[in-house]
Order: sequence, then C-alpha cells, then structure tokens
Amino acid sequence: MSDQAVRNLENSAAEAQRPGPACAVQTFNLTRAFGRLVAVDGISLSIKKGELFALLGPNGAGKTTVISLLCCLLKPTGGTAYVLGHDITKEPYEVKKLIGVSPQETTLSERLNPLENLELIARLHDLPKAKAHQWSCLLLETMGLSERARDQVRNFSGGMKRRLSLAMALIADPQILILDEPSLGLDPQARRAVWEYIEHLKGEKTILLTTHYMEEADYLSDRVGIIDQGRIVSLGSPSELKTRLLDTHTILVKGWNLTQNVIASLQQRYQGVKLEGNTLTVSDRHLDLHELIEQLRRDGASVRSAYFKESTLEDVFIKITGKELRA
Amino acid sequence: MRFWQLFLRNLKETYRDQLALGFLLAFPLLFMLVFGVALGANEAPSYRIAAVDDDASPISASFITEGLPQALTLEVELASSAADALASLKLGDIRAFVVIPPGFGEAVVAIRSGTPANLNLDLTYDESDLAVSGEIVQTVRAILGEFAAIESPITVNAHPVNTQAKITQIDFIAPGIIIFGLLIMIPTSARIMTRDKENGYLRRLLTTPTHPWEFILGYSLCLLLIAVIQIIFFLLIGWLFGMDILGNLALAFGVYVLAAIASIGLGMVVAALAKSQTQAEPLTWLFTMPLAIISGVWFSLGSMPSYIRAISQIFPYAHAVEATRAILLRGAGFTAVGSDLVFLVAWAVGAILLGIFMFGRTMRA
Ligand SMILES: Nc1ncnc2c1ncn2[C@@H]1O[C@H](COP(=O)(O)OP(=O)(O)OP(=O)(O)O)[C@@H](O)[C@H]1O
Ligand SMILES: [Mg+2]
Repeated sequence: MSDQAVRNLENSAAEAQRPGPACAVQTFNLTRAFGRLVAVDGISLSIKKGELFALLGPNGAGKTTVISLLCCLLKPTGGTAYVLGHDITKEPYEVKKLIGVSPQETTLSERLNPLENLELIARLHDLPKAKAHQWSCLLLETMGLSERARDQVRNFSGGMKRRLSLAMALIADPQILILDEPSLGLDPQARRAVWEYIEHLKGEKTILLTTHYMEEADYLSDRVGIIDQGRIVSLGSPSELKTRLLDTHTILVKGWNLTQNVIASLQQRYQGVKLEGNTLTVSDRHLDLHELIEQLRRDGASVRSAYFKESTLEDVFIKITGKELRA
Repeated sequence: MRFWQLFLRNLKETYRDQLALGFLLAFPLLFMLVFGVALGANEAPSYRIAAVDDDASPISASFITEGLPQALTLEVELASSAADALASLKLGDIRAFVVIPPGFGEAVVAIRSGTPANLNLDLTYDESDLAVSGEIVQTVRAILGEFAAIESPITVNAHPVNTQAKITQIDFIAPGIIIFGLLIMIPTSARIMTRDKENGYLRRLLTTPTHPWEFILGYSLCLLLIAVIQIIFFLLIGWLFGMDILGNLALAFGVYVLAAIASIGLGMVVAALAKSQTQAEPLTWLFTMPLAIISGVWFSLGSMPSYIRAISQIFPYAHAVEATRAILLRGAGFTAVGSDLVFLVAWAVGAILLGIFMFGRTMRA
C-alpha cells in the first residue's frame, strides 16, 4: 500500500471517530475487559439528542459496564465514547458535568434526609445554595416524598429510596440522563409511575436506560439496543425490531375437543403446533384466522376464541439470543 | 467548595450515628473511669511514704514511729533498704521515701543539747509528682525541725527519680487514654470510608464532577474534627479526675493532633485495601489493640520485654504517649520532646500521604 493510501485510510478512520453534532452519546468500538472476561465487546452506537435509548439485555450482558464507562467510572480498554462532544477518556470532568446518573444499586447517604441527599448532589454539581434547595423541594414534591422530607432515608421503603435515587439523577437538571434499571425493585404500580415520569421527560432530555424488562423497553424507548455478552446484537425501534426479526405469526386458540387427531391434522399444514392445557398455539409464516377456524371445525373441534398474538420484544430477544430473559 | 459539602455530609452521618459516636467517646472513657474511679484522686489526700532507718538508733526509731506520723497527710511504713523502697516507689505503692543516714541520732542529741551539728535526711520521690512531692518535702522538713527542736540548719536532700511504672494515677493514665482514643481513629476512619466505598455511595458521588482530593479532604476534615473533640473531651475528663497539667497544653495538643493525623492516614490505607466493612473492621482492630498495649497507653512499657519495646518504638503512638506524659506531667518543653516530635511529624506526613495516594487511586477510573 502506498503512503498516500495509508494516510487516506487513517484520515477516514479519524473521520469516523469524530462525534456528530446531533449525537448526545456516541461510542466507537467501546471495549472493556476484566482480565480475560470481555464485558463490553466493541460497541459502536450513537444516541441522538432527545432520544430515549434502552439497552436491553440479560444479567451479565454488560449493561452496567457500558454505563460505568460512559460515566467515566471505568476506563475503556479499547475504543472510546463521546458525550456531547467530550471524550470520556480525556475530559471526564466535562462529561460528569453533563450527566445525571441513577445507579443500579440504590445508594443514598443513609443518615441524611431526602432533602439533604438531593441538595448534596446539587451542590456537588455546583448549583448555588438557594437554587439547590428550591429544586430539591420541587423534585421531592414530584416524587411524592415531601411528607418524609425530614426523615432519615435509612428508614425508607425500597420504592421510596428508588424514587429518591431517580430524583438524585435529575436534581442538577442534566442534559443527559443515565438510568441503570430505573424500575428495579418497584411494585407494578410504582413502576408505572416511574415509567410515566420518564415518559414525561422524553424529548426534553436525552435518556439512556438499561432494563431487562421487555415491556419497559417496549413501552418507553424510541430505540432499543439488545445487548448480549457485551455486544449489541440488534438495534432499532421496538416495532422495527419486531417486524424485521419476527417473520412468523402466532394464533392462540381456546376451545374444546382439541384431540390428538385435530392436532395431527394441523401439524400437516402448519409449522408450529402446540397444545398447553386447553390453549392451542399455532404459528407459521402465513396464517389466516378464517382458514384455521374452518379446519378446526372440520376436524370436529369447537372453537371458543381465536386471536393473533401480539408479538413482543421478548419474542425478538429469544429469537436473537436463543435464551429467555430473566426478569 | 465541594469538599466543604462533603465534610458537612460526613459530619452529619457521624453525629447522627449515635452508636458509633458513643463508642468513640465511651470506649476510652470506660477505661478512664475504671482507672480513674478505682485509683484516682482522694478527697483528703494522704500519702504513703516509706522510711529507711540506716542509723538504727533509738532516736531515729522514734523519729519514724512518733515524729513522722504526726503529719496527718503522711502514712509511714518501714522499709528495710533504700533499694526496696525505690522498688515500691516505682510500683506506685508509695509516693516517696526518706532515708535516715547513720549519725542522725547523734546529731539530734547534739542539737538538743545546744551543740551545732548538721542534720541530714534523704528524701526520694517521683519527679512526675511535682505537686505532691513538694508537699511531702515541706511536711518532712517541718516535722524534722520540730523533732530536733530547732529552726535550722536542716538539710533535706531531695532526690527526684523518674518512675514510669506508676499505674495508680490518673495523671499517668489520662495522657495514654487520649492516645488510645486516637488509636481508635484508625478503625473509625477506615469504617467511614469503607462504608461509602462498599455500598456504592462513593461511586454515585463520583458521577458528579467531584475530584478525588475533594473527597479525601471532606473525609479528613471530618475525622480531624472528631479527633480534636475527642482530645478536648478526654483532657477535660482527666482534669475532672484531678490530672495535674504541668506543661504546655498547646504542645501536648500538637502531639495529639499529629497522632490523630497518622491514624487517619492509616485508616485511609485500610479503606483502600479493604473490599468491605466486614473485612476492614476486624482487620483494624486486630492491629489497633495490640498496638495500644505495646504503646503503653494503659501500662508502662518498663515491664515489657525489650524486643516489644523496640517494636513499639517503630510506631508513632508510644512516642506520642511518652511525649505527652513528659509534657503534661513533668512539664517537658519543646526541646525535651524534640526527637519524639520529629518522629511524629514524619509519621503523620508519611501516613496521610500514603493514605491519600492509595485511597485516591481507588477513586480513579
Ligand atoms: N469490576 C469488575 N470486575 C470483574 N468483572 C466485572 C466487573 N464488573 C463487571 N464484571 C463482569 O462483567 C460482566 C458484565 O457485567 P455488568 O454488570 O455490566 O452486567 P449487567 O448487564 O449490568 O447485568 P445485570 O442485569 O445483572 O445488572 C459480568 O460478567 C460481570 O461479572
Ligand atoms: Mg447491571
């Protein structure tokens, strides 16, 4: 290769490494190894400003490690990332000024009250005293913690702590919100409330969250990155992922007289036929509800209900990784 | 001013943790009370002294059995030799002893019959006991004058000796107990920092634009304040129990602060090495308690084997105990404790720098 060609190659490589102006977060071949274990394995992705991006993956997939890298708590062993144009390896303090983080573990200063907890984070982000106090009170109100504002947080329930933890990520009004499993340990009702709150922040802030709840990613995110063993295995909006990756459809049938004969007859026509209890699952690339019901009738079964199953991210995930997510 | 916010936070966490706080003050106090109440100040002081009768004349015997006991403040016992008496003094059984030299009886007889003669008496006392020994010297002198029925000349040869082994006094205990309190600062500082590290709170705070040195300053200031409060508290308690403070209090205070800084530094080192609080706590106690014992915070080093004394001299605490005892009890000045002071400064600076380096490193990405 000529010198010129080499230089061109280097230039284009450098070009690719420059963060785009519309990107809030951009990673380039981001890698982190712990000894021989590669927790994050060459991830390149970009999150647009104002986007809500969900990293979805099973335990140990590397979600928290990605976040630690972006928060400058860990140094990458390869590649790098930019947060609003700041290199995480070169300008960690600039990056930290821009982000608000809610870690996976709810860690608070146990003997401070929620107000003090919030004010401390605000002050560490250089907010003036009066403003820190005002915003803290407002956020406590929003999170429904005002009544307990003067109680030490060590006596709080898990859900209350979690809400405070989220408030601590928000207190400095960061441009980028990083939430590691925000709804971990919440009851369904509290989870809904958190989702609604996050939804209300959508568009206003760039949000990166991790989760292993499918519904959460499905419900909240603009884009999902499915991560497994340190790699992004699939990327796109939830509906994109479903249509792109799920080429089979499923019909669920409930009824009587679903005999061996009926099933044997179905199995000759359709790819996947399964009977669990009195629910019959039929799946294939092309399915017609009418046809299916007709055939069942002919074979002597009586159908009580039959409907297309809504495909979920979970199906996508199982399809991609071959494993189920543990929630 | 982020460090100031962190300092305030650490302070709140500490004083709201009554159990830990109580422990910091109560644990050394317990030792102090045990020694103080059991062996401390008497309301109507009476001093046990011993008498050695080298003259062995009827006159000297009567001086011992009738003369000396006239003083209500003296309890007199007979000792067989000066060496025996010195041993008792060192053990703290007696506060002083008089040796009646040969020829004492003859001199008294001569004086009483109007012939001038020299009257000698040797008095040996503990030099750290200045106030008490002054009183004893006065008393013995007065009694001797009365006994011989003259005003002068009387020679009471005063021999101050340095007895480090006297464990029966608050004077002796208090300076060491303060050092014990400062030794407890090692587990305390290790605990405070390890807790934040272990439960991930430190990681959370590290996602804010706070620099490692700001965290370290926030912790150190808080711990130093705790130490200063401890020092003042125990000096006060000691004073209430009747500790005599002869020397320069500011100098002693400086020595204590140096010991405290060394403890905080060591605590930081432990916090940097320990993975968890359950690991840090026993680890620190494991070396704090033996260190307390060999540093002579409760007992004199004199009774310990020389190799243990040599080990204790490696650490700053034995030096701090010796220096503060010398300052507070014997009124030693800056130059007298100079070498201890240099050693302590070196330790304080070394330990805190090592702590900052090691703990700071755990905070870096
Ligand atoms: N400090 C570390 N030292 C060694 N290995 C680590 C460290 N941190 C993470 N790992 C390993 O990296 C892998 C990814 O961990 P990570 O915490 O990022 O997973 P995760 O996707 O957040 O999982 P979870 O859903 O359980 O939170 C795991 O195998 C983990 O054991
Ligand atoms: Mg995780």
